[in-house]
Amino acid sequence: MATQSIERAVNTEVQLMMTCLCDAFYAGVAEATVRVLEAAGCRVHVPEDQTCCGQPAFNGGDFESSRKIAQHTAKVFSGDLPIIVPSGSCAAMHLHGNGLQFENAPDEGQMGVRSLAKRTWEVCDFLVHGLGKTTWPGRLDRRVAIHDSCHTRGSGTGAAMRTLLGSIAGVELLEIGQAEQCCGFGGTFSVTFPHISTGMGTLKLDEVHAKRPDMLVSGDMSCLMHLNGLAENQERALPHCHAVEVLAEALG
Amino acid sequence: MPDRDAIFKRVRTSLLQSSGGAPLPDYDPSALVAKPRLTGAGLWENFAQNFGAVSGRPMTELGEVVSFLKSEGVSYGYCDLALCERFETVLDEIGIEIVSTYDRERYDDYQFGITRAAGAIAETGTVILTDSSTSDRLGALTPWIHIAVLPEACLIETVGEALASFDPDETTIIWATGPSKTADIEGILIEGVHGPGEQVCLLML
Amino acid sequence: MPNPIEQYARDLSEETREAVRKSGALTTGQRVEILQKDYEDPDALRRLAGEIKQHTIDHLDSYLEQAEASLTKAGAKVHFASDADSARQCVLGILQQSDVQRVVKSKSMATEEIHLNPFLEKQGIETVETDLGEFIIQIDEDTPSHIVRPIIHKKREEVAESFEKHGLGDYNTDPETITRRARVHLREKYMQSGAGITGGNFVSAESGRIVLVTNEGNARFSMAPNKVHIAVIGIEKIVPRDRDLAVFLNLLARSATAQQLTVYTQFIKGPRMPSQPSGPEEMHVVFLDNGRSQILGESCREILRCIRCGACQNVCPVYRHASGHAYRAVYGGPIGAVLSPLLGGKASFPEYADLPKASSLCGACREVCPVDIPIPDMLLKLRHKGKKQGVSTPGSFPMAPFATLATSPTAWRTAMTAARAMNYLPMKLAPIKPLRDWLGDRTLPKWRGGDFRRWLKTRKGNNADA
Repeated sequence: MATQSIERAVNTEVQLMMTCLCDAFYAGVAEATVRVLEAAGCRVHVPEDQTCCGQPAFNGGDFESSRKIAQHTAKVFSGDLPIIVPSGSCAAMHLHGNGLQFENAPDEGQMGVRSLAKRTWEVCDFLVHGLGKTTWPGRLDRRVAIHDSCHTRGSGTGAAMRTLLGSIAGVELLEIGQAEQCCGFGGTFSVTFPHISTGMGTLKLDEVHAKRPDMLVSGDMSCLMHLNGLAENQERALPHCHAVEVLAEALG
Repeated sequence: MPDRDAIFKRVRTSLLQSSGGAPLPDYDPSALVAKPRLTGAGLWENFAQNFGAVSGRPMTELGEVVSFLKSEGVSYGYCDLALCERFETVLDEIGIEIVSTYDRERYDDYQFGITRAAGAIAETGTVILTDSSTSDRLGALTPWIHIAVLPEACLIETVGEALASFDPDETTIIWATGPSKTADIEGILIEGVHGPGEQVCLLML
Repeated sequence: MPNPIEQYARDLSEETREAVRKSGALTTGQRVEILQKDYEDPDALRRLAGEIKQHTIDHLDSYLEQAEASLTKAGAKVHFASDADSARQCVLGILQQSDVQRVVKSKSMATEEIHLNPFLEKQGIETVETDLGEFIIQIDEDTPSHIVRPIIHKKREEVAESFEKHGLGDYNTDPETITRRARVHLREKYMQSGAGITGGNFVSAESGRIVLVTNEGNARFSMAPNKVHIAVIGIEKIVPRDRDLAVFLNLLARSATAQQLTVYTQFIKGPRMPSQPSGPEEMHVVFLDNGRSQILGESCREILRCIRCGACQNVCPVYRHASGHAYRAVYGGPIGAVLSPLLGGKASFPEYADLPKASSLCGACREVCPVDIPIPDMLLKLRHKGKKQGVSTPGSFPMAPFATLATSPTAWRTAMTAARAMNYLPMKLAPIKPLRDWLGDRTLPKWRGGDFRRWLKTRKGNNADA
């Protein structure tokens, strides 16, 4: 989704949108995001009433449901502070998906949803293209394979992730083959199309393992959850984590 | 014509639903040029390079054509009447016969065809054939070998310039970029499907 | 009931899957290579092409009128066909008027769409496909599974068997031998027929020139020996001016087959010139609507920019796993998932409403589209259309309960914590079949619902509020 050229709010006081996936499974990623943002000089607010960006319903074509969730999110994240998300996918929902589901809708019906697109950043994108960080301290001797999640296509996330991770002393970045191919998750897609989804994920794992990395890193836990779930089943699991967890680890 | 009116009516009704329409963008034609394909010393050199890259055979000497035909073991071909004088004697010497009338009954007998090119595009290695320059469409199409004779002045640098120089009177303009080919079976490239399997371009100074 | 595309993918042989996947991956890679080699900013070209096409379809009435006038002036006869039946009758009428008994055809998706071949055959007119792939499809009574590579799903052994069966030589699997045999067989057909039928890749409104591209030279050969040329072309194929063709030709060949230009690029605006001994005396253009004018008024109108390059099919992971036939219609892959539910109008929408679901919405198709069609957005809009119309598609999930939960923060927090119970459930015995299938191939991470929220609250000296 073409998000690169969007002008968005920048501030060292930010709101964290933890994502439902981190709320349910990946508390460590949300914690790392707070630590990393604080290390970058930010004061982080975490609105308690946050739930989900609405993407599961949106992707299912149930815009009536997903619009309600978006309106709830807009209410919870009101104000003008940047909204930082440790997920390219949830960020894309704010930057692109909401525009689509509220296409032709009058401003008043959106109840602040439009403001989300002007303030939302994927966390790595924010650190580099918002705050201007180009290096990260610490040392980690590790070969890191990067999986670009589909919803960061055309955004600043891929470059930002490489800038930050690549600047950590000792980190060797590995580009995996056929990087444009999806891991096969796609939310409910993987449930409706399990055979195709598994096939896609298996191919992705083949490409990842071909590079013999020490770990697999991405900006979206959904892809990693799916890939690791498959890898464990195929008895070829490898360490995997969100890019901010690597940054947090480098902080020591 | 009820269908015509119905289609226009539906199109117009549908266009009322759209927001008035996007404008035709203004653009710089030079942005469409594949500049790395034009780094040679001149038009012919660039053409020859790009034509060679699509399995075409660029030639500058009549002798090259003669030896090529000899090496291909041909004995009978079609030649544009306007070019016969140039080819007749040299080919006759090595036992190759040419005729200037294309006989449809004998379509399979012509091993080569020599016709005039109306132009060529350096950027893409393309030979331009038109109805008025081609003495017989079939003579340039059915033989395994096609030799296009190109006057040097007709070389054009880019695709954009070639489009801009279309003669409005020509009802049929053909760009041939190398021999005919297919990759339909398992993606394996085979040259020479329905049209020529060898495409020669002879520069005429 | 499993989704039909999922079912088709399950049943597909690994051999076919591998063939489709390999071809897709190879062409995708070559496409990127040639675009990056030749242009500093290929994406700017894609956007430009999209803008020109969008402008054209936004003003389709005037451009169509202009194209009609230009063609008529150049000596071509222009016909209009509202639907498939009308187009078939129109072609038949032209053939009957010239007493044509045999026609040769050059590959055309528009004629696939209107199922012209079986119709003409039924009328006693021998109709021979001349593109090698389409010829093989025809003798096999198969259907094309890719826009550009119709027999992407076939192995050479199958082709060898078909050739043997149809008296085209002994069993031989060598692609070159097969090609030569087709060459010999088909040139007899070209020379003996009375008309050549083609599609059209573009029509310049300014000059009326129809642009036809083929690598094999079969469109050229379908015309050169024949009295009559009929081009069946969708009304959306128009571009404003000749010079705009530079944008599209450069992108089409690179996107479709990673070539700079297709071997034969033909610009035709009428019958042969009087001085030319070979070539049609009549040129007919049949402009086909068949649902396009309806699509123009809907929210997915950008799909009419499509120039049929097949790049979205090549890159699509779902297409690569399921193959084109899984989409049950003339157009497979991402473009088919949008076009098929729309082309037939209201009547065919429910029949194809499941196709837009066959995507992880990964967006790879949009990235490669030479006319920058936002295909994933359209898949979403069509899913929404299906939901609104109450069309049930296999594998749909009700989302209303989730929306209720996600808009009730207290209930949400409770659920997050309560669902920790999941960690103690035997997930492989999950009660819902799709979920069980899903878990058959995957493990789930440990549920840690609410942990982050607790961490925030207990964290000493933090400046994060909760």
